[in-house]
Amino acid sequence: MSRLRDIPIHVEPSAQIEPPARAGGLGGGVTAILSEAAGLLEKLADGGKPALIDLRSLPMSPRDRAALQGALGEGEVRVTLNADGISTLYETAIAGLWWVEHRNGQGDLIAELLEITRFPLILDSAPDEIATSAAALRALVHAGSTAHMAGEEHATRQ
Amino acid sequence: MPHDSDLNVGEMLRRHGVGRRAFIKFCTATVSALALPPWMGPAMADQLREARRPSVIYLSFQECTGCFESFTRSFAPTIENLIFNVVSLDYDDTLMAASGDAAESALAQAMQQNFGKYVLIVDGSIPTGAGGACCTAGGRSAVDSLREAAKGAAVIICVGTCSAFGGIPFANPNPTEAWPVSAIIGDKPLINVSGCPPVPEVITGTLLQYVTTGRLPDLDEQRRPKAFFGNTIHDRCYRRPFYDEGKFAKSFDDEGARNGWCLYELGCKGPTTYNACATLKWNGGTSFPIESGHGCISCSEPGFWDKGSLYAPLATAEWGKAGDNSPVRTLELGAAAAAAGGVIGVGSAGLGRWRQHRREHPIGNPPEDE
Repeated sequence: MSRLRDIPIHVEPSAQIEPPARAGGLGGGVTAILSEAAGLLEKLADGGKPALIDLRSLPMSPRDRAALQGALGEGEVRVTLNADGISTLYETAIAGLWWVEHRNGQGDLIAELLEITRFPLILDSAPDEIATSAAALRALVHAGSTAHMAGEEHATRQ
Repeated sequence: MPHDSDLNVGEMLRRHGVGRRAFIKFCTATVSALALPPWMGPAMADQLREARRPSVIYLSFQECTGCFESFTRSFAPTIENLIFNVVSLDYDDTLMAASGDAAESALAQAMQQNFGKYVLIVDGSIPTGAGGACCTAGGRSAVDSLREAAKGAAVIICVGTCSAFGGIPFANPNPTEAWPVSAIIGDKPLINVSGCPPVPEVITGTLLQYVTTGRLPDLDEQRRPKAFFGNTIHDRCYRRPFYDEGKFAKSFDDEGARNGWCLYELGCKGPTTYNACATLKWNGGTSFPIESGHGCISCSEPGFWDKGSLYAPLATAEWGKAGDNSPVRTLELGAAAAAAGGVIGVGSAGLGRWRQHRREHPIGNPPEDE
């Protein structure tokens, strides 16, 4: 009886299809993104507005994506945001260049961006929410002091 | 408790306890799916919170429900997110619990309460043969139902190649004398979201874009949103570098196919097909046909079923350039007549000419001098 290795099976190349790399080791798309980010960072440094690059709008192979992440590195700040699924934001080794990854409640990647900014927009607390929470905190302080006074009164009576 | 349609999106979100960050995230993902400039995410969040939730009526005619299946599988935005937060889906015979007379009266009520303001989504072609008897619901023909529902619609979104261009029912020999919606209704703003089926996010994204801005998106000559149909599959294909290097698979199991080379010579219609498959992909961005080893069959283009072999290279097939044989253009006469109320007669006349043309030219474009 033939053994398993006698059965003529040959392993096909990986299903992970990779287009040919361009000169310099980075795919053409990666170089274009880095160049665009550099231009936007220069504008930000000159007092310009924050900007975003949508990484999903560009045709990138997994290798291109890994090359881009490798080229940008990771800096000092990493933030996890839990709002309708987990989002991860970290500043790359390039100050002012943030990698933003949004996932939905099922863990699927729903948006991936480079944000060129001093501080990612989504992390900022909203003015209307601050107003509401200030009132809520004031009510909490009031309730606390009332309870405290009630407690003192209770102790005095005893 | 106010009627859902009276609430704006912000009020609905507050009711569901959705925070600002979650909503910015939702809008960021949606803008990414819409291929809009990414800075529009925060702007969309602001606009949508103020937007009124429109009533949406979804009608299915001569179709296979594949488009609706696609619709329900959108990842960003999800259909739950749309239904609960952004729109008020008042009639859909596949999703709704009601049936029979209750369903039909729900439809009548939704149309009456939101007359002139609702979004009408149409799925499937409209058969006009045999007095419209090939597709009826509640004792009424598709063509009658469509014309009645269209009267009070603010906009019509045709989901799928059947409602947009006639699709498979319209294909030769078209036994039911099917037509696209644009041939029947000529006096309403209309968006075609073609594809067999369309990419889920293209359906939900188009709807959301309309709700956000309250106006039609930029459309191409086939009335498709340019945000999704602005590039060919070939323009955005990750196998494009192989095409540029002249590396082509010659069969589906040769070395080139195994190495992921360009599928052009195996009949890929990517170069003449406008759609978002190569960027948005399918199943939550998992893959798309070319990534799975099969060429594009051009399902989002008019008349794709009648253009010869799906496996003949573009260079040898009589395929022409994208959008050449739009039924929309051919049917302008039918559309004008629809406004005047004589659609079936004129539509049938147009069909007769088309059939005669077909006999003379088995493959190719419909006559242009209609």
